[in-house]
Amino acid sequence: MATVQVSEAEKVYIMHGVRDDLRVDGRGCEDYRHMEIETDVVSNTDGSAKVTLGHTAILVGIKAEIGKPRPMVADEGFLEFFVDCSANATPEFEGRGGDELGTELSNTLYKVFNNRNSIDLRTLCISPGEHCWVLYIDVLLLQCDGNLFDAISVAVKAALFNTRIPKVHISEDEEGGKEIELSDDPYDCMRLNVENVPCIVTLCKVGHRHVVDATLLEKACSEGGRGSLDPESIFEMTETGKRVGKALHAPLMEVLQKEESLGKKRQKVGFLG
Amino acid sequence: MSPMKLCVPGERLCSTEDCIPGTGTYLRHGYIFASLAGYVLRKNEGEELPMISVVRETEAQLLPDVGAIVTCKVTSINPRFAKVHILYVGSTPLKDRFRGTIRKEDVRATEKDKVETYKSFRPGDIVLAKVISLGDVQSNYLLTTAENELGVVVAHSEAGVQMVPISWCEMQCPRTHAKEFRKVARVQPEYLQA
Amino acid sequence: MPVDTKRVRGPDESQSPLIFLPKSAQKVVPKEGREDGRQRGQTDVRPVFARCGLVSQAKGSAYIEAGNTKLMCSVYGPREIERKDETDMKSGRLFCDFRFAPFSCQKRGAWIQGSEEKDFSLALLESLRPGVCLHKYPRSQIEVNVMVLENDGSVLAHAVTCASLALADAGIEMYDLVLGCSLRQDGATYLIDPTFPEESGSCVADNAENQGSVTVALLPSLNQVSGLQSDGEMGEETLVDAVRACIEGCHKLYPVVQQALIKSVRRKAPPPEN
Repeated sequence: MATVQVSEAEKVYIMHGVRDDLRVDGRGCEDYRHMEIETDVVSNTDGSAKVTLGHTAILVGIKAEIGKPRPMVADEGFLEFFVDCSANATPEFEGRGGDELGTELSNTLYKVFNNRNSIDLRTLCISPGEHCWVLYIDVLLLQCDGNLFDAISVAVKAALFNTRIPKVHISEDEEGGKEIELSDDPYDCMRLNVENVPCIVTLCKVGHRHVVDATLLEKACSEGGRGSLDPESIFEMTETGKRVGKALHAPLMEVLQKEESLGKKRQKVGFLG
Repeated sequence: MSPMKLCVPGERLCSTEDCIPGTGTYLRHGYIFASLAGYVLRKNEGEELPMISVVRETEAQLLPDVGAIVTCKVTSINPRFAKVHILYVGSTPLKDRFRGTIRKEDVRATEKDKVETYKSFRPGDIVLAKVISLGDVQSNYLLTTAENELGVVVAHSEAGVQMVPISWCEMQCPRTHAKEFRKVARVQPEYLQA
Repeated sequence: MPVDTKRVRGPDESQSPLIFLPKSAQKVVPKEGREDGRQRGQTDVRPVFARCGLVSQAKGSAYIEAGNTKLMCSVYGPREIERKDETDMKSGRLFCDFRFAPFSCQKRGAWIQGSEEKDFSLALLESLRPGVCLHKYPRSQIEVNVMVLENDGSVLAHAVTCASLALADAGIEMYDLVLGCSLRQDGATYLIDPTFPEESGSCVADNAENQGSVTVALLPSLNQVSGLQSDGEMGEETLVDAVRACIEGCHKLYPVVQQALIKSVRRKAPPPEN
């Protein structure tokens, strides 16, 4: 990923700022940068969202396809994540350069969604053991300016909120064969409950305090994900993470609902906004 | 003598007020910690405090460092530099292969502009050299032979016989008596045990 | 190859018959206590057997066995770095490769590295890196290869311990050893150092809260946590308690690891003369 060099003087300046709860760009320790969210940006998808956080820009597209449920959990659909680090974001991602980061990000997403309450996978089941919806969640990094994890999780959540899965019903003929029938009405859709879809909160320990949504400069001041922490600060950080996550979640849901209530009147911003 | 104390990495050995940290140790918050698994060795060397170090069966893996004398084998030459493989650091053999470069300018101390690499080295020669830099992204270790004691120590003639040095810049084949040019090292007697 | 049309060919994809067992025939993890006699909610890790120096070609190696989980690790290097970039000039680089032997799990795995293995490799790297004095090895790379021979739960945790043993055995300078410990949270209670059925099976009724697992990597004498992996869902307090329990579990491993290392130093050479 894009890296920056910091001098000792800069480091001291940033660390002292963090100590006094005033960061270089004027934020407090637990503030996010300016975030913009727009849903339904790609018409070919079943759900999509674009999120910008500072200069980080993420585009998520979700496509629903009918597949076969996993044998271990016959009555559930499943999610597939793929994170593409395109060379648009930084030239280092060219060729196979972004693969490592991409796997790391998608593995994190699998882990975050690997529990019962994030999303009810049973709603994705069409007929147990035979058919289910598979949601292919493709994440595209358009610009990297730090804090990819948080931005991606918000974008995935917004895109899931926006996802509309066509309603199907199964009819059985005389011989017992099953047929899947798609509803004729394009507005007859199923929505997902995203109330519990998690947001990732990344914390970065700078000096003796930790900051939310670190810029690349601040990240360079901490160990940059390579260090170790004493147990007490881990506990402090989980507490902060929980608090910040809750504070992030409420306005996010509000914004998403508000955007949807605008309906067709909504002015589309797109990519040049 | 009591059996020697053993330690593992991360073990606190003593305070800096009691000892000076030696090899295989590191300092943290005024204490000396072990960074290797091995025997704890305290040595009094006439100074106020004894030196504490951790030693293992073999010397810890040495890496070529700036200023180290290395023994290397020439693998290829071109008009600008000779490429070598570093075989030994001091008297410790390296387990893995490290590559180095002797540039034309670093072959000898005087008349640098008149140096011709193929009159100084040939592929296969064993050369004593000194590390001057770890090099950057593109280059390998940079080595120099610009001292009297540094240069070719073992070379074979075209007839395949080991040659004898006859001056600082020539060696002779004992069978054909043909002379060949080399940047010859005046080998220090203490290196000649082998 | 010509296809034999007379033969009924099997399906393209095959599944282990074990998953089609009726629920009653499946092995159920007991709700009280644990199958191997350990207690829930206590930090009684499985007894560990560890030994260094079994791969003679490697610079350092280690083998670790905890219950039926068996894995080995070998360390090569420091050697000249192959892929160079600017950041490697001042300090060395650590490479970790984590693999399951194809026969190590219930289901046969492939020889090529899967995404779970890549994930574990990364977690292993991040857990080990703070423990190694990489600045002492400029322009060099150190390779750590872990092979799981038998997977009976908590593989990542034991891989961390095993790899740090192998690094120390190789004589790589380290700030501290790195020890790993896993925990499976099951509602209000936890199972430390879980076996494979305990790790993967859901132990109590569905929809129960606090189902998850935690793996901690600890630098024991510096008291620093170098790796923390958490999966599933847990309340904040539960997570804090789980991490504390893991740290306690790591400390229980420390004497065994220390002994294994000291034994290998002693076997390699007699004490030096003063």
